[in-house]
Amino acid sequence: MADISASPEGLPGAKSSLYAQSDRTRRRNAAETRFKYYGMGAVAIGVIALVCLLTSILSNGLSSFQQTFLRVEIFLDPAVVDPQGNRDPEEMAKVFTFGYQPLIKGSLEAQAQELAAGPAPEITPQLLAGMVSSAAPADLRDFVLANPDRVGETVEFNFLANARIDQYLKGRVTRESAALDSRVDVAQLNAADELVAIGQMQKRFNWDFIFGPDASENRPEAAGIGVALIGSAYMMLIVLVIAVPIGVGASIYLEEFAKKNWLTDIIEVNISNLAAVPSIVFGILGLAVFINFMHLPISSPLVGGLVLTLMTLPTIIIATRAALKSIPPSIRDAALGVGASKMQAVFHHVLPLAMPGILTGTIIGLAQALGETAPLLLIGMVAFVREYPDSILDPAVGLPVQVYNFTNRADPAFVERASGAIIVLLVFLVIMNLVAIILRRRFERRW
Amino acid sequence: MALSYFVILLLALSAAGYVMGRRKALAAAGGDSRGLHSLLSFYGWNVALAAFLTGIVILALWALFGSTLAGSMSWLGGVAALVAAAGAFAVAYGAIAPDYRARNSVEAKVKGILIFCSSVAILTTLGIVLSMLFETGHFFSQYSWSHFFFGTEWTPRFSGNSELGMLPLLWGTLYVSLIALCVSVPIGLFAAIYLSEYATPGIRAVAKPAIEVLAGIPTIVYGLFALITVGPLLRDYFAGPLGIGDSSRSVMTAGLVMGIMLIPFVSSLSDDIINAVPQSLRDGSYGLGATRSETIKQVVVPAALPGIVGAVLLAASRAIGETMIVVLGAGAAAQLSLNPFDAMTTITVKIVSQLTGDTDFASPETLVAFALGITLFVLTLCLNILALYIVRKYREQYE
Amino acid sequence: MKTVKLSASVLAIAAVSATAAAARDTVQIAGSSTVLPYASIVAEAFGENMGFPTPVVQSGGSSAGLKQFCEGVGENTIDIANASRAIREKEIKTCADNGVTEIMEVRIGYDGIVFANEIADPEFAFTPADWYKALAAELPVDGAMVANPNASWSEVNPDFADIAIKAFIPGTKHGTREVFEEKVILAGCEESGAMEAILGINGGDEDAAEEACMNIRTDGASIDIDGDYTETLTSIQGEEGAFGVFGLAFYENNTNIIKVATMSGVAPSTETIASGEYPVSRPLFFYVKKQHIGEIPGLKEYAEFFVSDMVAGPDGPLAAYGLVSDPELAATQQQVADEVTMGSGS
Repeated sequence: MADISASPEGLPGAKSSLYAQSDRTRRRNAAETRFKYYGMGAVAIGVIALVCLLTSILSNGLSSFQQTFLRVEIFLDPAVVDPQGNRDPEEMAKVFTFGYQPLIKGSLEAQAQELAAGPAPEITPQLLAGMVSSAAPADLRDFVLANPDRVGETVEFNFLANARIDQYLKGRVTRESAALDSRVDVAQLNAADELVAIGQMQKRFNWDFIFGPDASENRPEAAGIGVALIGSAYMMLIVLVIAVPIGVGASIYLEEFAKKNWLTDIIEVNISNLAAVPSIVFGILGLAVFINFMHLPISSPLVGGLVLTLMTLPTIIIATRAALKSIPPSIRDAALGVGASKMQAVFHHVLPLAMPGILTGTIIGLAQALGETAPLLLIGMVAFVREYPDSILDPAVGLPVQVYNFTNRADPAFVERASGAIIVLLVFLVIMNLVAIILRRRFERRW
Repeated sequence: MALSYFVILLLALSAAGYVMGRRKALAAAGGDSRGLHSLLSFYGWNVALAAFLTGIVILALWALFGSTLAGSMSWLGGVAALVAAAGAFAVAYGAIAPDYRARNSVEAKVKGILIFCSSVAILTTLGIVLSMLFETGHFFSQYSWSHFFFGTEWTPRFSGNSELGMLPLLWGTLYVSLIALCVSVPIGLFAAIYLSEYATPGIRAVAKPAIEVLAGIPTIVYGLFALITVGPLLRDYFAGPLGIGDSSRSVMTAGLVMGIMLIPFVSSLSDDIINAVPQSLRDGSYGLGATRSETIKQVVVPAALPGIVGAVLLAASRAIGETMIVVLGAGAAAQLSLNPFDAMTTITVKIVSQLTGDTDFASPETLVAFALGITLFVLTLCLNILALYIVRKYREQYE
Repeated sequence: MKTVKLSASVLAIAAVSATAAAARDTVQIAGSSTVLPYASIVAEAFGENMGFPTPVVQSGGSSAGLKQFCEGVGENTIDIANASRAIREKEIKTCADNGVTEIMEVRIGYDGIVFANEIADPEFAFTPADWYKALAAELPVDGAMVANPNASWSEVNPDFADIAIKAFIPGTKHGTREVFEEKVILAGCEESGAMEAILGINGGDEDAAEEACMNIRTDGASIDIDGDYTETLTSIQGEEGAFGVFGLAFYENNTNIIKVATMSGVAPSTETIASGEYPVSRPLFFYVKKQHIGEIPGLKEYAEFFVSDMVAGPDGPLAAYGLVSDPELAATQQQVADEVTMGSGS
C-alpha cells in the first residue's frame, strides 16, 4: 500500500489558517478536480462515439422498416395460369414465374392506359411494368396456386414497388442520379409521384423486412432478415445455455478449488491465450471437429452455436475469475467459520456476490458472439438461406452474417437493408443488456 | 432425434432419484433429519447426480464414437446409458444410511463437473492445434520455413513463386494493436474510475450500459466508420498537411477506431473490479486525509490491478483478432514501415483472406493461413505467459 | 448447482441430436463470391418454381468452396462448388483421394471486368499498355529496370488528363486479380514492347520476364482491396480521380455513381464481352458432385434449371443482372442432362 503519511515537508506552516487554503491544498484540490474531469471526459468520449455510430446507423436504416407498395389489379387469365383448364394446382404449378411475367405486364399496361386517360397523364404503359418488383410474379403465382378457384377473376394486389422507386420516395434516389442510372429513368419517378398523389402507391410499415426471408440480389425490396433473426436466436440460446454454465464452472474451479500448481498455470495461460485466438480459427476448429468428425450438419445453428460457445468461453471465464478474485476473503472465512463446507461457502456466498461481474462478462461475451461473422464463414453459415429453420439442425444464418451479405451486394438499396438489420441486431443486444442490468441491479452492492 | 428421448428419460430417472433418496434418508433417520450426517437434500442429490452423470457420460461417448460402430442401431447407446444409470441409481440408493456422508459424495461429484468445465478450455486448445497442425505441415513441405519466419516481403501470387514472409504482417499486427490499446486503456480506465467512484447512481445506470453497447455494434459498422469518416479526416487534416502520408487507409485510422470499440472491454470489467474493492480501504485512506483522486491512484487501482490487467489483456486479445476494422481501416497491403499513416495489414486479416480467396486450396498461398494461425497462437501464448508472470509478481491481496 | 445440471443436460441433448440428424433435403452450394449473386438468383427462382426447398448458397471464395467440395462424399459435404476459375489438377486429385471421383463441370457464362472512375472524373480510353505503365513495379528504361516513375496519368499517356495515378485493384486473394494481371498487365507489357526490353535485360528468361511484368507497384499508387466491390466503390468515392476494378454486373447496378473506361477502344457490355471484342473477361463455373445426384433431392433439377434458356439465356434474369451468357449454352444443357463428368466426355 502506498505510504500516504510520509510527506512531512508539505505540512502547513505556522501562518496557515483553516480558512485560507494553503498552496498545497489548492494544488491537491485542483488535481482532484482535474482527475474527475478526466473521468468525465473518458465517459463522454465513449458516449459521443456511441451517439455518432448510432446516428449514422439510424439515419441510414430506419427507412428500411417502411416499404413502398403499388396497388394493381390483375386479371388471372386462365389461358396463362391454367393451360390445362382443370384447376388442378399440381398441373398449374408447371407454369413458372417466368410465365406470369407477361400476365402482370399485360394487366399493368391496361391499367396504365386507364390512368393516363384520367388522373395520371404522365404514365405510359411501358413505365408501370418496370416499376413493380421482380418478386411480384412469385407472389402472384403463390396466390393462384393457393386459390385456384379464383382463376378468371380480376383480383387486386399490393405488389412491392421496385427498389429504385422505393428509394426515390425515401429521398435516396434523385432525378439527377436517375438520369444516369441504367435501372430506372426519370419518367418513372414522375409516374411514381402521380401514383402517390392518387393513392395507388404508398409506403407502409414493412413487417416482411423483419420476419421475411432474404431475397436475391435483383430484388432488394423483398429482402428480409427473418431467417437471420431465428438463426441468431438459436445460436444465442445455445451459447447462453452452454457457455455460461461451463464458463462459470471452470472459473469457480480454477479460482476456488484448484491447487496453485503448474497444471492450473497451464490452464490459466491457456484460457487467456484462447481469448486472443482470431475468431476465424474457431471456424477452422468447428469445421474439423463438429462437421468433419462429429458429422453435425453444415450451416446449422447448432454448429454455429457450439463454435461461438468455444469462442466466448475465454471471455466469460476471464470476467468471472476477475469477479471471484475481487470478493474479499473475509466472506469465505466467515462462511467457513460457521461450519459451511467449501462448496457451500462458494455457491451460497461467494457466487451471489460475484454475480454483477459474471453478468458483465456474460454480456460482453454474448455481444461478441452476437456480432461475429468470421467463425461462421468456414462452417457454412455465411450463406444465402431462404428457408426458415425448423430446428437447430436446419441451415440458417445469423444477423451479422446477413448484415455482411447485404453490404457486399451490388445494388445500393441494400445499404439501407444492412443498416436496418444492424438496428434489429442492436435492439436484440439492448434487450439482452436490459435483462443483465436488471439482474445486476439485484446483486450489485458494496461492502 | 431419437436419442434425446433417452436424455429426457434420464432426467426423469434422476428426478425420481432425488425424491426417493430424500424419502429413504428421512425414513432411515426415523423422520428426524437431525439424525443424519448431511442435510436432507444432499441424499436426494447424491442419487440423482449418480444416475444422471453415469448416463450422460455414456450417451456423450456413444454420440461421439458409437454411431460409427453401430450405424442404424442408434438406440443401443441410449439403452446402455439408461441401464448403467439405473445401476448407479441402485448403488447410490442402497448406500443411504443415517451416517452416510452424502454431502461429501455430492461435493466430490460437483467438483468433478467443475474440473470437466475447466478442461473444456484445454480440449479447445488441443482441437485448435490439431486442426491446424496437419495443414501447417503441408505448408512447410512446400515453402521454406526460414522464408516464412524471416521474410520481409508478402506478395502471394496465383502462378506460384510467392513471397510469403510474415514479418510485415507481424509488425502490422503489433502496430495496430498498440495504437488501439493506447486509445482504449486510458479512456476505458478513466471511464471505469469515474463510473465507479464519482458518478451518481443515475448517471452510472445510463452510462455503463451505453458504453457496453459499443462492444456489441458489429465490427463492420466500425470498419465503414473508419473508411468513410475517420480515414479521410486524418488524411485531410493531419497526415496531408504534415506531409507524412496521403492514404486514407492507415494504421492510425484502424487503431483509433478499434480503440473505440475496445473501450467497453476495459471500462466495464475494470468498473466491476474497482467496485468490488472493499470500502474499508477507501475509508482508511480518506481518514488519513487523502483526497478522492489520491485514494483512487494509490489505494483503489493498485488493489484492483490484477483484474484490470485481465481486462487489458482481453482488450489486447480482441485487438489482435480483429479483421473487419483492419481491412477497411488499414488496408490489405502488407508493408514494413514506421509511419503510422501508412497502410498496413495484420496476420488475422491475411488468415481470413487467404482462406476465403480463389487460390488453389492445396497451394502454399492458401495453406499459409494455417501456418499464420499457429504462429499467432504461439506468439500470443508467449505474451500471456509474460502477463501471468507480471500479474503474479505485482499482485497484492487486500483485506 | 442447478446451472451445472442444466448445462450438462443441454450438452447431452446437443451431442445426442448429432447422431440423429435427419437426412438432408436441401441442396448445399458453396464457393466463389463472384458467382454468389447469380447462384442466389437461380436458387430463389428454383425454390419458387420447382417445389424443392430453396438451396443454401454459401459464399467464401472458390478455394474454400472447392475444398469443402473435395472433402468427401456424404450428407455433410456440399453438393455443388461455385468457382470463378476452372478447377485445378491438384484439386481434382485431392477430390479423387477423398472419394469424389465424378465431377460435372458446368460453365454458366462469362464475367466481364471493367475499369471505372467516378461520374464527375474525366473520360479515359485505355489500352492494356497504359495500365502496365501505370501500375508495374519496375519499367525497363534504357536497358535497365527502374522503379516506376509515373505519378500521373498524363505521364503514362500524353492524351490523358493530369490526374495522379490511384487504382484500387482486387487483392491477391481474388481470382479477379489473376485475370487482371494476365489479361491487362501482362498483355500491356507485351503490347508496349516492354516485354522485349525486359528479355533483353535479363538475357531471355521468359518466366522471369513475365513475373517482372506482373509485379504491381506497392508505393501507394495501387491499393489492394481484399473485400468486395462495394469496398472498392466506397474507396474510389473517397479519393479524387481514383480508378477501381469492378465486375460488369456491379457496374450495371451503379451506373449513377461510376462510369467505365473503354479498353482498346471497346466499351464493356454483355454484347462486346460475349463476342470477345472486350478483352478482359473470364468464364464462371459450377461443379456438381455426381455421386450426390439421386441422394439429394433436387440436385440435378437445380443444375438443369440453372443452365436452362429461361434462366441463363440472353433474356433470362442472369443476363439482366449482368452475366454474359454463354454462346454455347445448348451444349452445356446437353452435358448436364447427360450427366457428363470431367475426363469422361469432352
